[in-house]
Order: sequence, then structure tokens, then C-alpha cells
Amino acid sequence: MKKISSLKISISGVRGIIGESLTPQLAAAFAQAFGTYIGGGPVIVGQDARPSGTMLKQAVISGLLAVGCQPVDVGICPIPSFLFLTKESKSSGGIAVTASHNPKEWNGMKFISRDGLYLTPHQTEEFLDIYHQGEFYFVEPERYKGLKTESNPAGPHLKKLLSYFDVDRIRGKKFKVAVDCSNGAGAVLAPRLLEALGCEPIFIHCLPDGAFAHDPEPLPENIVEICRTVREGKADVGFVQDADADRLAVVSEKGEPLGEESTLALAAQYVLGKTPGPVVCNLSTTQAIDDIAGRFGATVVRTKIGEINVVERILAMEPRPVIGGEGNGGVILPDIHPCRDSFAAMCVILEYMAASGKRVSALQKSLPQYFMIKEKVSGSAEQAYRLINLLKKNYEGKGRIELSDGLKVRMNDHWIHVRPSNTEPIIRVIAEAKSREKAKAAIRTLKREISALQRKI
Amino acid sequence: MKWTSAACDIYSGSAPPSVSKGMKLLKIGISGVRGIVGESITPRLVMDFAAAFGTYINSKPVLLARDTRISGPMLQAACTAALLSTGCAVLDLGVCPTPILQLLVKPLMAMGGISITAGHNDIKWNALTFISRDGTYLNSFQGAEVLDIYHLGKFKKVATDRLGRVKAAEKAADAYFEKLGAFINAEAVAEARFKVVIDACNGAGAKFIGRLAGLLGFELIPINHEPNGFFPHDPEPRPRNAQQVVSIIKAVGADVGFLLNSDVSRVSIVTETGESLSEEFTFPLVAHDLLEDDCGSVVTNLSTSRMIEDVARSRNCPLIRTKVGQSYAIQTLLQENGIMAGEGSGGVALAKFQPAFDGFLTMAVILEAMARRGKKISQLVKELPRYHIVKEKIYCPPTKIHSVVNEVKKFFRGHEMDTSDGIRVEDKQGWVLVRTSGTEPMIRVIVEDSAKDRARQRADEVIHFINLIIK
Repeated sequence: MKKISSLKISISGVRGIIGESLTPQLAAAFAQAFGTYIGGGPVIVGQDARPSGTMLKQAVISGLLAVGCQPVDVGICPIPSFLFLTKESKSSGGIAVTASHNPKEWNGMKFISRDGLYLTPHQTEEFLDIYHQGEFYFVEPERYKGLKTESNPAGPHLKKLLSYFDVDRIRGKKFKVAVDCSNGAGAVLAPRLLEALGCEPIFIHCLPDGAFAHDPEPLPENIVEICRTVREGKADVGFVQDADADRLAVVSEKGEPLGEESTLALAAQYVLGKTPGPVVCNLSTTQAIDDIAGRFGATVVRTKIGEINVVERILAMEPRPVIGGEGNGGVILPDIHPCRDSFAAMCVILEYMAASGKRVSALQKSLPQYFMIKEKVSGSAEQAYRLINLLKKNYEGKGRIELSDGLKVRMNDHWIHVRPSNTEPIIRVIAEAKSREKAKAAIRTLKREISALQRKI
Repeated sequence: MKWTSAACDIYSGSAPPSVSKGMKLLKIGISGVRGIVGESITPRLVMDFAAAFGTYINSKPVLLARDTRISGPMLQAACTAALLSTGCAVLDLGVCPTPILQLLVKPLMAMGGISITAGHNDIKWNALTFISRDGTYLNSFQGAEVLDIYHLGKFKKVATDRLGRVKAAEKAADAYFEKLGAFINAEAVAEARFKVVIDACNGAGAKFIGRLAGLLGFELIPINHEPNGFFPHDPEPRPRNAQQVVSIIKAVGADVGFLLNSDVSRVSIVTETGESLSEEFTFPLVAHDLLEDDCGSVVTNLSTSRMIEDVARSRNCPLIRTKVGQSYAIQTLLQENGIMAGEGSGGVALAKFQPAFDGFLTMAVILEAMARRGKKISQLVKELPRYHIVKEKIYCPPTKIHSVVNEVKKFFRGHEMDTSDGIRVEDKQGWVLVRTSGTEPMIRVIVEDSAKDRARQRADEVIHFINLIIK
């Protein structure tokens, strides 16, 4: 395979490797294009806890100032709080310096509209047109706006969470909660939230210094430490946030990780039980969602991968979906704000525990049992495209083929999904089945097929 | 008094509106880059120059400061991002005058500095000035190296783990005032109980002149004292911009008034009688006082008044003239082991304090001279010889500016010409200098003469000739 470029420009924003593709010049140019696109006004600028965040943020601030915007520097801020603030403060938009769960050498930018939502694919297209044309709306210094700072960017979000959930009920339980913030932006709000919920927290990796104590993806293999903390601290539950605090993984009181697919399933089971309504999730999300929705007579709508695709569908649907999200631990409660929110997810699960009086392991048992295996092979989007075209033939007649985002095949007792990542030059390979053995067998077959085709792509 | 106010009237030229039509203004000099914000000064340009400087510095700490211009935070953010990306730590001085940054380079163990200021230019402009590890403007060799890296476009890019960090260093300015306090006889100045009007033009000086007043124990009457970047007049210390100081100085009974540019590298003086002195007086006043006790080479540029020649001669000190620009004057000062350098624009450097044009030092030395000699500023000025100087500038498209200046040689045919920086012709009565501006697309014509009418007449003749060439 040829050398893969480390710069990714997609509907999830811009990502690249510091010291290689993602330079301050590039970041400033994107900020200028964004400022030109939104036509001035206040722009919230924040960062996750990566050490390269300050460098990129300064580049973004300089680009925004040059085109007459007023950057509002919020420092390190969880992404759901950031999105909420952008809407609440009536800003013209926002730029978040983050590479979400990518490894530490990466960083990037996410662009946010005045509604506090990621740019839609159409908006992204318009904005990228401006970037590519390179004609930015530089203003004269007389029309420069000063730089502002906001020291409590998570405040409005916290207030909303506390007004939305049954705080008294959670407080009454005095839960002991172990939290791993992955030394990410979640550390800014998690302590305040848990204190307000009357929980006794045990924090690990709670310094937002960007020294990712573990790989920032909240996968079971990364959460050995929180499992031990839950067991040794006799906690009622353990939570792991990813570096920008939009996703959440849950650990039971026995110190066993539930698997990231269970986060949305648990949340959906509780929310639908209270308020039945449509559910929106992406193509890779566990089949358990369909089973749970079925129990409550609710419909499930599936979208392409990418948070904005889920959000756009949520906003377009009537009646309004009650919950949405992604199997990667991303829970969306549209009534709070249409974005993935690890804090809202924590609140839902704590309220579920309080309302049901059940332990997390018991709640987990009440979920439809599926086993999902997610793997990745390296490859560019182009290679993924050719791979999918060839692979498709292997599955013709074997199940229901869906091609809206990569290749998804739903067979009798399992499904597989192969697609290019939007954020890294890798191909994601996923299989889910009722049993672990079946899932393993499916992924084994799939990977064998891929390596057989690799020479042709 | 008459001739100085006349000089300020004659000095009429500000940039005509045609300047920015079509042509983007960008001036790249040996120690920095200057342009109009939003036209040539963009984040990209600033980042590329800062990244070139960071590459030149090679991942070592760099001091960063800015004046109060409204565009300053944009340039500061761009410089910060670019320096960090090359692995340089940024020691952030915030709003801070260039001479303070220059003095702090060594004590903070930085390997260089960038000062974001366009000095005396109006609000539309901004610039980067690169400072070496010695605290001086880059010399021509160092500047050429940075420019080569800039033009090559291959900037050092370090990985996440080796990125620079930003450290707030605003407190470091204390060290500057400690050193100044040790250099000046502060007690003598304090005993004189001066009342001093200072117009910092809302520039970087506004943030620090209160400390100067505290250090030297004078009563400060500040004008335009908000470091907010809104310039009530051009931040160029010279009689034309002195009206506010002149209007109050007698009424408040002040002993002296000072005007500063936006980064406190230049000073002009208003006497207690309300006379606004040409900025040409600042350097000769300092020299006249200090050379009495301490003789050595005096460095100035080709366009500075003959006053300094007379002063140096009267003190038996050699005078060396250089090309125009702080870098040339300071490099010569260091090479010749001189005692002081200065320019007719109001910049003064004393080798024993620091090799930099320094407005705080200039004010302190003048106050000390007044205190030590027990004389009023108007009396000190009377001891200086007086000449009549006419300064004009003529707009010329940057693409033909040098050839136009070269054509002016024809005007002076038959005379001995010094062409080290433009064309300078000298005779017993005075001198004429025609040169391109280092900072704007302007041809400067400077004429000095012992007779006022002759100065004006000579200037008019040269300007007429230049206008014919341009047309």
C-alpha cells in the first residue's frame, strides 16, 4: 500500500498529525474560512486537553480575529458543554480544537453552527468551498473585535442537566461513583456534576493535562484500571469518558465493563420506558436497540456513521425522537441538546439505577444480549471503496445488503459492517451476533476475505 | 522657537490616499516585516515569518511582546502558534514596549524575541521586529538567514511531545526597572520633584510610565494613558502630534513634556515654556549632557541633523554616520565600541545600558540632566546649536522607487555624493538627503541648512525634480 496521508477533512471536521500535516498555517486558514462563512460575530473557541491544543487554538484565534470575528476563548471544555454554550450564548458559531478519540499525536478542529450543532454536510460543503477558494474576508484593524475569555463555559450545561434530571432521587441514593476522565476535558465538569448529584466520587486520571493515561478510546481493553478502582473502592458504578467527553463507557459494580454498546442500550431502555418515541442511531450500532425499541413499540431509524448524520435525522423527524446516539458510547438526549453527551448519559444511568433500585449488573442482564467485535485494518478511503466493491460480491444472496455507508450485511443470526473511518486512514470492520463464538467466527471469515482481496486493492 | 514650529508645519506629508490603491504594501527589512493589516499582514504571513524565525532560533525560548494596536492580538496569536509549532517556548510579555523586551532577552535566557509593533506608523499598520539573542535588532546577516528560511518555506515542525509551551512572563518587566533604577541617579531626580507630562498615545508605554514615575519620584501627568490601541493622533513623537501636551504644559506648571511612539523606542520633547521641540533635539540633548564626562564614538544615521556633529565636535568625540535604521546604528555602535547611538527620529541608545533605542532610558537621562545641572529643559536646549530642517515625503510606487532615487543623481551632478543610503550631498551651509523610506512606499527628502529660507528653497527644488521623474 502507498503512504497514507495523515490529513483528514470530512464532515467530522479536520484532523491531522501535529508536526506533519496539521500546521498552524492550515488551522488559521480553516478558521478564516469559517469566520468568512459565518460572517463575523462571537465564535466560541475551545480545546480538549491535548498538549498541542494551545498551539492550534492560538492559530484559530488569529484566523478568526483577522476576519473580524470575536473569539471567545473557553480553554479546555467538554464538547457537549461547548456545543450547549455556543447555542445558549447566541454566538455565531464555534471551533473546537479536538481530535476526539484519535491517538495523542493527532489533533483537529470541529466546526459548530450558531445552533450549537456540528456543521451539516451541506454547510460543510459551503464552508469548504470558501476554504478551497482561499478568498477570506480580511477586515481592517478598525473593525477588529477583541479577544474574550469565558472562565465557566460548562456552567449553562450543568444548569440544564440539573434541571432536566430527577436530582433529588439520585441524591437520595448517595451513589459511590468511580470516574476515569482519561485526563481529558471531562475533568472540567465531572466533579461538579457528581457533587451536585450527591454522589461520592472516586476520580482517576482527572487532570486535564492531555497526558492520556491510556489510549483515549473508551474500549474495554483500555479500562482495566477503572474496573479495579470500582472493585477496590466498592463503587456502585464506574464511568469512563473519552478525551472530549462526548462518549461514555460503563463499568458494573462488580468491576466488569459492560462494553461500549451497552451505554446507549441502557439509556434507551430507561428513556423509552418513561417516554416511548422514535430512536435514531447509526448503522454500526448494536441490534439490541431494535429489540429494546420493539418492546416499547418504538421505531428505530438508522443513519450513516457520523454524529451529525444522527443529529440531522433527529432534528428532521416528527414526532421528535426521544433518544438517539451511537454504539460507541455516544448518547443523545434531544431535549437537553442534540449532541452526544457523556454527562447526560451518566445522569440517565444514575437515574435509572435510582428509579429501578437495581444494580448495574442486573440492569445489564435485562438488556438483549449481543456480542460485537470491532476491529480495524489500515487503508485509505480509496482502498476501502475498492475493497467494499469486491467484498460485496461475496455476500450477494447471503443477507440484506446495505450500501449507504460502506457495506453492511444483515444475515439471519448476525451482521457485518465494513467502512472507511471518517477521521483516520483506517477501515473499520465490525461483526455482531447473539453469541461471542458466532461473532468471532464472522469477523474471522470477514478478515480472511479482506486479506484475500488486499492484493487487488 | 520659531524654526521648530515652522519645521513641523513644513513636515506635511502623510500618505496620500493613492498609497493603498491596488498595490499591497509589505516592507520586508533586515530585522522584520511591516505591512497593512488585512492587506499584506495576514495570519498566514505572520505565521510564516514567525515560523521562519522559530526555525532560525531552533526550538529555544523566544520572548514575545506587542504594543497596544487593535490588531496586536491577531499577530500575537499567529506568532505564538507558529513559534510553538517549531518547538520554541514562548515567554509571553503581553503588552510590553520593545526596549523592555530587548533588555529581558538575556536575563530570561531566551534565544531571541519578536516585538509586535509598527512603532510610529498609524493604526492600519503592524509589524514584527525580530530581536537577536543579544537583545539587538537582527543584523543584516541574521536577517538574511531568517529571510532565506522564509523564502524556502521549509519550517521546522515538531511532534506533539516536543511542541513549545507558553509561559506568562509579564512580571519580568520588574527586572527592567531595577536595572534602570541602578543606572540612573534616581535620588537626584526625585529630589528635584519634577512634574512631567507624558503622552504615550495610548501605546505600550501607557502601561509602564507610572512605574518610571515611581522609580524616579516625579509627578506624572499622563495624557492618552489608556493602553487600548486607539491612537488619538499618529504615534509619532514630533511637533505635529504634540498639541495636547503643548496645550496643558504651562497650565499645569510641568517641567517637561514627552511624547512616545507606540513601542517607546522614540521620544520627542516639549519644554516647560510650551515649545514643542523637533524630534531631532532628543539625541543631541542626551549627547550634550553625557559626553561631557564620558567621551567615545557617537553613532548616528545619514539623515540626522548636524546638531549632533556640533555637539560631538565640541566634546571632542568622533561621529560615525550609518545607513538609516536601528539595526545599522546599533551594529556600528557595537563594532566601533561606541558610547551612544541615536537618530533624528528621537531614538537614543546608550551602550552602557543596552544596545537598543530606549525611550524610558531617554526620558530618565534627560530628567537626570535637568536635575544634576539644575537647569530647565528650555535652558538645556539653548546650549545646542540650531539648524533649519525640512522633511518631506513623496509617494512613489514601490516598484520604481529605487530607480527614481537613482535618477536624482542627475540633479546633483558635479557635487560629491554619499550613496550609502540614498543620496546625500553636503556643503558648508547644510546637506540634502534623498532616500527611500524603510517602512512605506515613500521617498524622503530631508534638507538641513543654517538659513531657513534656503532649506525650504533647496527642498522645493529637489521635490520638483523628483515629481518630474515620477510623472
